[in-house]
Parts: sequence; structure tokens; C-alpha cells
Amino acid sequence: MDQRAYLWANRLLGNDPGAAALEVTLGGLTLRFAVETVFALTGADCAATLDGFATDAWRTVRARPGQVLRLAYSRTGMRAYLAFPGGLDTDRAFDSASSVARDGLPGRLGRPLLEDEALRWAAPDRVCPKRYVPPHLVPPPGAASGLTLPLITGYEWPEFSEADRGRVFAAEWTVDSASDRTAMRLNGPALASGPRALDSSPLVDGTVQVTGDSRPLVFMRDRPTIGGYPKLGGVDPIVLDALAQARPGTPVRFVPADLGTIRRAMARREAFFRVHWP
Amino acid sequence: MITFPGPASALVVLPVAPDRDGIARVLSLERFARESLAGVRATIPAFNRLLVEGAPGRWDPEEIMSTLETGARAALRAPPKTQAVAATAMVTLPVCYDPDLAPDLEQVAVRAEMSPDDVARLHSAPTYLVLATGFAPGFAYLGDVDARIATRRRLSPRARVPRGAVGIADRRTGVYPAEGPGGWCLVGRVPAALFEDAAERIARFTPGGTVEFRPVGRKDYEAECR
Repeated sequence: MDQRAYLWANRLLGNDPGAAALEVTLGGLTLRFAVETVFALTGADCAATLDGFATDAWRTVRARPGQVLRLAYSRTGMRAYLAFPGGLDTDRAFDSASSVARDGLPGRLGRPLLEDEALRWAAPDRVCPKRYVPPHLVPPPGAASGLTLPLITGYEWPEFSEADRGRVFAAEWTVDSASDRTAMRLNGPALASGPRALDSSPLVDGTVQVTGDSRPLVFMRDRPTIGGYPKLGGVDPIVLDALAQARPGTPVRFVPADLGTIRRAMARREAFFRVHWP
Repeated sequence: MITFPGPASALVVLPVAPDRDGIARVLSLERFARESLAGVRATIPAFNRLLVEGAPGRWDPEEIMSTLETGARAALRAPPKTQAVAATAMVTLPVCYDPDLAPDLEQVAVRAEMSPDDVARLHSAPTYLVLATGFAPGFAYLGDVDARIATRRRLSPRARVPRGAVGIADRRTGVYPAEGPGGWCLVGRVPAALFEDAAERIARFTPGGTVEFRPVGRKDYEAECR
């Protein structure tokens, strides 16, 4: 969900940017190391400890056999990322190691972890130099004070009433508790003026769709490929990382955005993290 | 009409009906886009629309716009090609129209002023084209359903439609690949066993592929369920 945190965790270890890592929603994970290795923890602050001593996130950490890594329930943010040298040993389906529990894909680890389950990763004894994310590049913890979502208007935007289009930018929205990896749902004024009976349109990450209850949702990483409700446009894909960390109740505002600026920022990020496509 | 729904994506909506003819034209535009544009990461064809996603570092909006405009004009000029677009993607599904397994068959028949057997015959007659995939992983919108048995969605969707249920909505039909909510009128059932393997279920249909329904009796249906 938070691709920036996931990319940093792999980069710290010298992994391929697409190496499989753990996404830990709301914390609450305990692991015992069976081998000497290095790991990197990023994302939501889960007050991690190694054998009871506080251990820093956003850096490489060495663990010895028998040591216990404990992530408490997250204090800010929603999701922590835990990466290991070479990436977790998982199956892949459709070019992806990402777990979809609903479909049991991609096979091995296509579901939440079980108690006492053994995890393996590709290069436990790889020599990883000490690395940390420069402090000014560590995203601010959580977004409890509010989040600004740059919105590129599009799709059926012109077919919403002027009053509704005004409401989108004027209202203070809040993140709804029914949000998940498919979409972040927002509470706020009803946007009831959109067209009815549409043919489904292809979606991108960040597409904002107004569903039957007249409330907007922002499509996230487990989104479907097409959606049949009227759409307002799309949120800056980079800001989806911060949105992925927003807890229910977080205030959210939309601001108009410029496509070119966002595209250049995305290009810089992909070059920095050496993101490549299968 | 071409718009940019994201920083490195373009959506083309062809001014044609979202039916067999529409998807045939969209698929020829898709081939053109994949041949003409560098760095295309994904394309999603659906009904009369095509989404093209590219690499942000190689995305020139003016070049994309003019290439897709050229492709769209060519796709609109070409004669509609509504035969199998992807000859490799042909699927035949056994379907049982037993009223026990088809709770809306009777109602569709009454509305169409014909017998349930005639509805089943008309539903299983055509070679359908996959117009889009989506709604749920592995769900395909198939068209075009014979106009005589085209039917509106149910006013209140069912909370639980069984895996393998065959529905009709307007001039489209489809098979529910997993249990879940659904509002289409259910006129038949494909053995659920054909949808058990997730990877197979998700990859079975692609836009432009063809699907045929082979009517089977209750006994054969039960046999295929085992």
C-alpha cells in the first residue's frame, strides 16, 4: 500500500525494488530469528524492539539467531514494512508476489501469516553495509493532522453539478473505517449529481469514484481493473502512500493538481528507486 | 475522446456502442497503441474504451495524444470485425438450465413471452465475445445477448450469488466466478468446479476471446460438479 516505505526497505538492503517483503497492518507481530541476518523496517511506527531493546526503523539492523523482534500495535500510521536480504521466498502469480487472501494467491504466502510459520528469504547471509534513510527523507509519522490530496479532475467530472464540484474542494473529508487495500472511503457531504447508468471504465491507482451512497472513494493497490460508478478524476499516485497510512477519522482535503508536475515527480521517484516493469 | 485519468495514462472512449462492434474496434486500437508507443506498461480494453498506461519517465502527452488519435480514426474507419478477435482464446462452458439452478429463468421467459426452454436455446445459441473483464477477478462481460431475452437487472441485487451462476443483464451475459453479491438475472449454472483454481479462473477470459455455452442436463451437470 505504502510503496515509498516498501521501496525504502528493499533499497536499504540492496534488494531488487520488487523483492517480496512483509506488510504489517497495525503492527502486532513477533518474529524469532533462526539465523544471523540483517533486516530493514519502515512505514508505520510500531515501537519495535529486538530482545526488548528499542530498535530503530528506516535503517538496516543486524539480528542474531534466537533474537526476538517485536512490533507493538502502531502508534501512528497503518502499515509497517519488513524486508529481508534477497526478498522473502514466496510463490508468484501473474508476475507478482503480492498476497490476495480472497483468491489464495500467489500460493505460498497468499494469505496472512500463521502462528509458528517459518519464513525464508533468499540471501540471509548477504553482507549488507550499514545504511539508513536520511532523516529529511523519512516521511513524517502518520497524518493525523490532515492530508492534502492533489486531484486531477477527469472522467465524469464535467457531468457533476457546479455545486458538487465546489463541494469536492471545499469540504473537509474524513477517512472512513470501511477502507481497505482496495479503496480508501471518505466521509463528507453527499455528491448526488453524478450521472447514472454508466458503462464501466478502466481505472488507475488513485481514481476517485462516487459510489451509490454518493460518497467518494479513492482506489488503492488492490483495486479492480474497471469501475461502473461516476468518477471525479484521480489523486496524485505518490500521495497514495501517505493515504495508505491514514487511520480512520483522518481529515482529508482535495486540491486541484497539475498533471505534468506529478508526472515529473513520479519519473524522479522511479529513477531513484530503479523501479522496473516486468 | 481522449483524456488523461492519471499522470502517465490515457483513456480513449470511441464514439461507438459498447457492444461486439465496439470491443472489436477497441482491440484494433489496442494493437496499434502497443505497436506504436514505447514504454507501454499495461492496456485495459473494456467495451468501447481503452486505457493505456505508460512509464512516467517516457510519457510525452502530445505524442500520446496524436498517436492515439491516429489509431482511433483508423479503428473507426475499419469495417467492424465481430468474429473471434483472439483465435487462441476460445472457451466452451457446460451450462445447466434446470429451473432449480436458474432462479430467474422463469421470470425472464415470462417477460420474453416464450418458454424457459426457448430462453435457454436463445442464450446458448451465439458465440459470445468477451467485451470486458472486471467487476470480480475472473468475471467476463459477454455479448451480445439475443435482444428477445435481454432483461433488466434485478431491482434488489442478491447478497449471495453462487459460484458458477450464469446471469443476464441487458444484452450481456456472464458467469459469476466466485460467490458474492450480484444483480443479474440468473438463468443457468456452470459447474462450480470449473472456477475452483484461482489462477485458472482469473486468467480464463480476455477481451476479444470467444465463449460458447454448451447446454447440459442435470445429470451431466452433477457429474461435472464432482
